[in-house]
Formats: sequence, C-alpha cells, structure tokens
Amino acid sequence: MHQLLNDPIDVIVDFSERRARPRRVRWDNKIYDMTSVNLIHGAREGEKRIFYFSVSDNLNYMKLRLDTENLEWRLVEIYSE
Amino acid sequence: MSKIIMHIDFNSFFASVEQQANPFLRGKAIAVGGKSKDSVDIARAHLENHRYDIENSLQLERTVVTTASREAKARGIKTAMSSIEAKRICPDLILIPGDPHKYSKITNTFLKILRRHCDAVEQFSTDEAFTDITIAAGDYFGAVMLAQLIRSDIKKECGVACTASIGIAPNKIVAKLASESVKPSGLTSVMPDEVEDFVQTKALQDVCGIGPRIEKRLNAMGISSMTSLKETTLEKLVAEFKSYAHFLYSVSRGLGDDHIDDQDAPPKSIGHSYTYPYDLTESADIKKHLLALADRVAWRMRRKGFIGTNLSVYVRYKGFGSMGVQKKYREPMEDGLQIYKNSWHLIDQIRDPNIPIRLLGISMSGLLATRMPSALFPKDKKMHQILNALDLIQSKFGSGAWQRAATVGSIFKERTSGWHYDHEG
Repeated sequence: MHQLLNDPIDVIVDFSERRARPRRVRWDNKIYDMTSVNLIHGAREGEKRIFYFSVSDNLNYMKLRLDTENLEWRLVEIYSE
Repeated sequence: MSKIIMHIDFNSFFASVEQQANPFLRGKAIAVGGKSKDSVDIARAHLENHRYDIENSLQLERTVVTTASREAKARGIKTAMSSIEAKRICPDLILIPGDPHKYSKITNTFLKILRRHCDAVEQFSTDEAFTDITIAAGDYFGAVMLAQLIRSDIKKECGVACTASIGIAPNKIVAKLASESVKPSGLTSVMPDEVEDFVQTKALQDVCGIGPRIEKRLNAMGISSMTSLKETTLEKLVAEFKSYAHFLYSVSRGLGDDHIDDQDAPPKSIGHSYTYPYDLTESADIKKHLLALADRVAWRMRRKGFIGTNLSVYVRYKGFGSMGVQKKYREPMEDGLQIYKNSWHLIDQIRDPNIPIRLLGISMSGLLATRMPSALFPKDKKMHQILNALDLIQSKFGSGAWQRAATVGSIFKERTSGWHYDHEG
C-alpha cells in the first residue's frame, strides 16, 4: 500500500541535541513505534513554517507533517510492505 | 601552478532522496515521475483532503521518468522515458510523485558540506557542483583525501542512500568528465600530465557541450572521436563552428575553464516558463495562462525587490518549433497585468495562430533594485497600493494565496527537474 492522505494523528516526540524525533504515532486507533527518522525537511507556506518527518518502523514508512503555527500533526503519506 | 578542481555529482539524485526517506524503496527499481496533466502535486496533495492510491495511480501512469534509481537504470529505465514504456520494460517499477521540497533540503545540505571543505563552490545544478580545492587540498593526494571526507559527510548528513561520484582534475570540463567516468560512487583523479591521454579515451558526446547536433556536424566533417577532433586544425573548426570552435579545439586537448564562480551575484533576469499538459489553441486560453505567468514573474520580481524594463516572451509550438521576442520599454514594470498586456501585444503580432502552443515563457531583464517611482495619476497610485496589499497577503499566506478571477483554472505544478527549485525562486 502506498497512499497520500491528510489524516490527523497524535505523535510522541523526543527532544535531544536540539532535534525533534517522532517516536510514537497514533493513527486510525493503532499505535506505531517508529524506529528510524530517515529525513527531516521543511517548507514555507507564507510565514508559516512546516516540517516533514520521514519515519519508519519495521513494516511502514510514514511522512508526518507538523504545522508549527498550531502544532498540529498530520499523516500525509504511508507506504507499507 | 595549475588549480585543483573537483566536480561532485549525485547519483540518481531524486530517486536516491526518495530511497533515503523511505527505506522500503532501497534496492528496488523506482522512478520519480515528472509533472503531467493529471500528475499529483505532492506539495498541495494534503490541501485537497482526499486519498491518492499511488500504487494504482492512473495519474502516474501518464507521466515521464525524471530520475530512475540505479536498480531501475540497470533494467533499462532511462530519464525522459514515458512511464507506460518504463512499466512495459520493468513491470515491477515503483513510480513515485516528485517532491521538490525534499530534494531542495538535500541540495542545501550538500552545498553546506562543500562550503565547509572547499575554497570556492559553484553550483552547477540541483545535484552537482564544481569546487576549487587548490588551497584546501594542497596536492592531488590531499584532493583524494578531501573527496573521501566530503563523501563521508554526505553519507552522515544527507543519508546512507545518497551517494555521489567525484572527479578531480585541473579544470572544470575534465573534472566533470572524470566524475562521470565511474558511476555510482566513483572517485576519479586526473593529474595534469594525464589529462590529454584521459580525454582521448572519451567519446565525443561524453563532453559537456557536445550534444547530438554538434556531434552530427562533427561527424559530417569526418570527426568521430576525440583523437580525430584533436587532429583537426583550428581553422577548419572555425569555418564550421565560428566562435564555438575554440571550445572544441581546447577540449580535445584537455584544456578548459578553471574559474569557480562563487559569487552570489544579483540576478540578470527573472522569468518563468511552463510546459502545459495540453495544447493551447484558443486565444482566450493562451491569454489566461499568459496572465497567470505574468503575475507569477511580477510577484517574484517584487519579492526580490526589483522592477524591470526589458521584456522577453517565448513560445514553443506543438511539434517543437519555437519563437521568441524581446522589447525594451522606457517605463519600468512591476505589475503582472502590465507585463501581460505587453507580452500579449508582442506575441500576438508574430505567433502563428494555426499552430497549438505547448510552452509559454516570460522573462524580465534590465532589472533595477528599487521600488516603482511614485505614480502621478490617482489610478496608478491606487494600483500600486493594491499591489503592496496583495504582496503582504502572499508574504503571509504563501505564493498563490490570491489570483485574478481571469486566471482561474491556470495551475502551476512545481517542477521536479531542472536547475533550481520553483519554491525557492
């Protein structure tokens, strides 16, 4: 499965060495423990700063979108083996 | 003493970045798709709030390959191949929509690494750069060590899936030939006394600057290799190629430019061209897209603090014939509507209305780093104030936060190939 979507999610994040690392994602009433942060990139929507976290566990890749204006997290891409 | 120039070129750049972001794609044949009529604009997909099934996406079936992973290349997938053809050759090929924001992050990290280690850096495209390392490296042994250090930093900071090929030589043209000699992850060093022999081992089209057309003309002169090019006199080359003959004469001897242009010079022109996913035939449709394009160029100009006096308009027809026209105006321009009116006036006089248009381009030059002089007439003053207000809206909410009603339906999808990223323009 490989989908683009825009679902609200809950994320638990670790902060260390001035970096945020998403650790746990709750989506669709399921919990996913992320084992790897593969890429972090930003984008600007006017004055708004958006961060994208490409993370994965053993079965799934997820792209998470953090809107820094309202601190809202969204799942915008998922790929499962 | 000759300089030491290093050329660094990412391998399968966009595909490698996708494999870095998504480890399940590593080791697989993947291809990044370009924009097409129905292609997914990944930067805006979430705004539409519905799901795209990428695996079974018909949208991606109608695109072209902008980059293939090394695994896909090994199976015959090439850049610019249609996705239908690519899928026929490699049925399990995974097609991915391009994501320019992701790629620009890696480009910027890459350039930061180079600036940390090199004397001067000249970006050559989104995924390659020339650097001067004469002082930083000291000699060719130091250059190889420095190349390994840069490669290690790329792995650490861009990710394990991102690899680059590196060429080291006394000038840019040979450094690029060297980096392209071994892919992926090659490191080729060509010392000054090896340059002439090294160049002779290359095919004509390996040289950056000798494309199919130049090669055809060379072949017609009986020149089919770098050796026969070297044996040809400068006079004979000038008779056929005019000033370009000097480049051909030099390159066959391994001579070339060694200046690294590290200046962040102000732009000479600001423009935008766009290939439309369908043919533009009706005047009303061409006008709509031209106005949207003019607004885009005008906004980019104002955002960078410029006004411009010289306007160039470019049209490419279906079947790839093209025409361009330029005009210098006494009054500078900053408003999209003004740029549009002048652009339409220019192209409507000379375009062939019977041939559909595939690409439109507008470019402003004669740039002045200033704001528009105060207008005399109340109508112009009002328009200036409106533009200022609209610019504030775009600064706060992003480019494209407003558009004229007349341009509704004209959408610019961000390009996933090229020299620069649209979102940084």
